[in-house]
Amino acid sequence: MSQPSLAKFVLKRPWLKRWMQPISDWYLANAGYRSLGLRADDLIPEENEVVQLALKRLPPKEAYDRVFRMRRAFQCSLAHQLLPRAEHTMPEDDVPYLTPLIEEIEAEIKEREDLDSMVVKKR
Amino acid sequence: MISRSAIGQSAGRALRRSRCTAQPAGRRGLAAPASGSFQYQTADVSGTKIASRDLAGPTTALALVSKAGSRSQWLPGLSEGLEGFAFKNTNKRSALRITREVELLGGEYSTYRTREALVLGTKFMREDLPYFVELLSEIATQTKYQEHVWHEEVEPHIKAAQSKFLGSTLEMATNSAHGLAFHRGLGTPLFPTSSVPTTKYLDPETIEAFSYAAYAKPNIALVANGADSAELQKWVGEYFAGARGSTPEGVPSLSASQAKYHGGEERIAHAKGNTIVIAFPGSSSFTGGFYKPEIAVLACLLGGKSSIKWSPGYSLLSKGCADFTGAHVDTNSLIYSDAGLLAITITGVAKDVAGAAAKAVETIKAVANGQIAKEDIQKAVAQAKFKELDFGHNIWAGIELTGSGLITGGKAYQLDDTGKAIGAVTEDQLKKVAKSLLDSKASVSTVGDLFALPYAEDLGLKV
Repeated sequence: MSQPSLAKFVLKRPWLKRWMQPISDWYLANAGYRSLGLRADDLIPEENEVVQLALKRLPPKEAYDRVFRMRRAFQCSLAHQLLPRAEHTMPEDDVPYLTPLIEEIEAEIKEREDLDSMVVKKR
Repeated sequence: MISRSAIGQSAGRALRRSRCTAQPAGRRGLAAPASGSFQYQTADVSGTKIASRDLAGPTTALALVSKAGSRSQWLPGLSEGLEGFAFKNTNKRSALRITREVELLGGEYSTYRTREALVLGTKFMREDLPYFVELLSEIATQTKYQEHVWHEEVEPHIKAAQSKFLGSTLEMATNSAHGLAFHRGLGTPLFPTSSVPTTKYLDPETIEAFSYAAYAKPNIALVANGADSAELQKWVGEYFAGARGSTPEGVPSLSASQAKYHGGEERIAHAKGNTIVIAFPGSSSFTGGFYKPEIAVLACLLGGKSSIKWSPGYSLLSKGCADFTGAHVDTNSLIYSDAGLLAITITGVAKDVAGAAAKAVETIKAVANGQIAKEDIQKAVAQAKFKELDFGHNIWAGIELTGSGLITGGKAYQLDDTGKAIGAVTEDQLKKVAKSLLDSKASVSTVGDLFALPYAEDLGLKV
């Protein structure tokens, strides 16, 4: 499930984006997941059908990397350590790889619901 | 309740139509009923071949016939994969939307595949022609070959079709007989017999590449039953303008080498039943170069299946095999664009199948020696002609044959002509063709209990 987000609202307004960008960068750097080698999309709760389906649709390489990042993060968490700085997730690597799939699946579900409840008007 | 205005409208339309198509009574031949001729009108709309006949009636059947049957695939299973992707998500709309829209219009769509053609068929109300022409063009040019659609929808279907295929001795024997007769090309099985294609050869990108060749203008034909030719031309011209004019570079073209008959024997052990298929070189389609109407008559003469209920019928095999109650016998003339097979299919209990197979070979020998009653031959000619013309009443009649004929030779399959040719078959021709069958190598495929089923040589056939 995609989370509610103001990102689109902000991105549409360049002045607001300029203003919010530093806050966003500061927040993400302090959120801590990057120092465990994770990406933002790794944090999406996966205990629901939509995300499960999206995970199934991931290309094999992506799915493997995701599991690797998670195991590494678990290990770090158990050992109460952070990764060496060189292995932290770089901001440019922190791309949404799962969100597009989730949005696609949600659009499919929405289309089905809309078509199921459509009202046919004869012209 | 049906509203009065609705009846009034359609009645008016029907009246108008019958006035247009009515012909003077004197000009009406056997195969030309009052509702219009069986003749297809063909045309070429900037590279796309179309054929249509304006049968009177409120519905239309429109099909896109592509050359992409199992014969012309360059990797095993490609044709089946392409069939699976038909009517799936396109760049413009989703598969669900296509289905719902077609449902709203009261139409239906289906896909099927033969050795030589992939047919995307639609059926709908006459006035919806533009919508369905657009739909077919969208499928041909804009389908998205998505990885997840392949994994979630197409691949499971292929696997299910495969296990169904492997469970049926009849299907296995028929495909094996084709393999024996034609080796590669026409002999490629309709369904993959192992899981190799899905694991090794098939993926969405390969299927997409195949679609470029399969839906290129020279390899498709649009065939309509119950549509006005001018109107079809107009809409095809509009919507198929964007289709590929030829197979793009880097994609193998769909091969079309002349099929060569080989023959041979194959025996496959199977626990679920017993089938023997005895096949001989047969007749090509009327549009191909090797059309032999006498093969169709011989198929009816040998027969095996009665067309009349509660009676064995006149056919030689149904009478001859009456003692073998556990065996079902059927003879078919399988027609392809440039070759064909006359196939006797025997299914049932192993002992009876063995007996019936021996009887079948004996019967062909009897036909070759001219030991057949004249009356039976007359009946066979009449039935073969009836079957051929009756075929024309079916709305899907010849759509596929016409499409294949157009793609390969630029000629439509005309029932009037084939009916005439079959009607002219004589006893001598039958004798000659039966003799030539026995002289040529047979393709014999035996699937089932191999201990009980005979070898082709024991039956007296050359393999």
